[in-house]
Amino acid sequence: MNIKELLTKDRISFNLEGLTKEEVIDELIEMLFKDNVIEDKDKFKIAVMKREEEFSTGIGYGIGIPHGKSEFVTEAAIAFGISKNGVDFDSMDGKPAHLIFLIAVPEKLDDIHLKVLSYISRRLMHNEVRQAIMEAENYDDIIKAFEK
Amino acid sequence: MKLLAVTSCPTGIAHTYMAAEALQMAAKEMNVDIKVETHGSIGVENEITDEEIKEAHAVIIAVDTKIDKTKFQGLPIVEGTVQDAIKNSKGLIEKAMRLENDKAQYVEKVSKIKENRKEKKKGPYQHLMTGVSYMIPFVVAGGILIALSFAFGIHAAENEGSLPWALSLIGGGSAFALMIPILSGFIAYSIADRPGLVPGMIGGMLSAEIGAGFLGGLIAGFLAGYTIVLLKKWIKLPKTMEGLMPVLVLPLLSSSIVGLLMIYIVGRPAATINVGLFNWLENLQEGSAIALGLVLGLMMAFDMGGPVNKAAYAFGVSTIAAGQSSSVMAAVMAAGMTPPLGIGIATLMTKNKFTKEEREAGKAALVLGISFITEGAIPFAAADPLRVIPSLMAGSAVTGALTMLFKVKLAVPHGGIFVLPIPNAVEGFLPYVISIAIGALVTALLVAALKKTKME
Repeated sequence: MNIKELLTKDRISFNLEGLTKEEVIDELIEMLFKDNVIEDKDKFKIAVMKREEEFSTGIGYGIGIPHGKSEFVTEAAIAFGISKNGVDFDSMDGKPAHLIFLIAVPEKLDDIHLKVLSYISRRLMHNEVRQAIMEAENYDDIIKAFEK
Repeated sequence: MKLLAVTSCPTGIAHTYMAAEALQMAAKEMNVDIKVETHGSIGVENEITDEEIKEAHAVIIAVDTKIDKTKFQGLPIVEGTVQDAIKNSKGLIEKAMRLENDKAQYVEKVSKIKENRKEKKKGPYQHLMTGVSYMIPFVVAGGILIALSFAFGIHAAENEGSLPWALSLIGGGSAFALMIPILSGFIAYSIADRPGLVPGMIGGMLSAEIGAGFLGGLIAGFLAGYTIVLLKKWIKLPKTMEGLMPVLVLPLLSSSIVGLLMIYIVGRPAATINVGLFNWLENLQEGSAIALGLVLGLMMAFDMGGPVNKAAYAFGVSTIAAGQSSSVMAAVMAAGMTPPLGIGIATLMTKNKFTKEEREAGKAALVLGISFITEGAIPFAAADPLRVIPSLMAGSAVTGALTMLFKVKLAVPHGGIFVLPIPNAVEGFLPYVISIAIGALVTALLVAALKKTKME
């Protein structure tokens, strides 16, 4: 199990078009839907937005990691997008989010997937990892940034 | 200086770990030693040990969920949210380092906790509860059989050879007759293991015989248990004769000692108190009866099947031990039914305040409630004790007081609504049902009002 299995090439957008938090989340959900890991876009979105209501997943540092646990997710997956201009993510530091990771998790998930997700979350806290992702030009650059 | 920390967020997928990482990064930068325990979807990782707690200076608890803090008792705690840890990890660490750590106080607290644990294991209360828990099935089976016999008419059992006579002989003549011996026997068993059983049961039997009832039975149980403990300590037989201890020496000596003490010393005062208690209950003024119902209600709901609940229940049972119906038993059973019922109704009334699992559990709670299984409310009380337990206690107190006000009496010790249709099992069927319904509603409304809306 490694990051590549969760974050595949098809689940990355280097140029998110959405201007609001919700539009960006829609875009990322669409990618996962096309990749057949989500059965019902709307139902999954409800789960994600509910989580956002509790408190925003905009943790600052230009990162947003919306996530949802739902029975309509067939396998754990991550969609990732870069927003060049940044979107308002109700972040804790008030700054716009540029790197947005959408994590989709099925109701029942084995520990291996959870371990990878926790590893990714930990890596994102490091400045140099964020910097490398921000400057990434292709898929391999992103994976490299995490695996360093 | 060593710090500890715990992080936990509602979904347990990302923020728990980001907060942990942020704390570790900040600590590294500040040259502080830190260990972070994470509570995520995977479960608890990097678990903090007792040894580490002993050596730590302080603990940072950065959580958005409820976690059990008891293991950090005595250690200075800095509390914050997961966001605090992500955003301001340095601030939390600085705060934790500034805290005074009074080691002496901590050590004292730890030894106190240990003492409590020890007492829990071996305290007289535990022995009493062991006895009560072995006794209850006898009471339940016997009580319901007696009630079934009553169903044929209050005096139907007098007709020898008839079915009601047989039921009464099984329930009252046998199951109830074993009740006190079993109680005493297993109190003694809890204290002194197997050798305790013989003097305990004999002492209990004697207590019933001489009219000392439950109270005498309790005394007999403890007397028997500690007599065995002392005899074992004092009597030293040569190796070859040690085999005689459990089959001859201990049973013979202990039953003579306990038996004689029961008959000549303990028996009479205990019997007097026993009779006094019944007269008191019999002549209880309305006001004090309602107060008693209220207190019993509070006790029944306080720990839902725990020791306080059991104490109230045992008191209720003792009032019907002679086969007559009692208002105390009525209050106890009604107040024990309302907690799960009230919770169940609350899950139906305010769906948005409970998770999907809780709503399912709510249906189960309704069934447990009508069956007088107070434990049905425990999952809800455990999840949100400060809001739920007071609501449960309020509802049960209302129910207990109401059954006393309406002078409802009950002849059976268990069975919930299933025993109520039995003729003569309950005096005042309608007021009884109303009392239970009102108490359950009080609980349901309070729970609905106090609980926060769920976002999960």
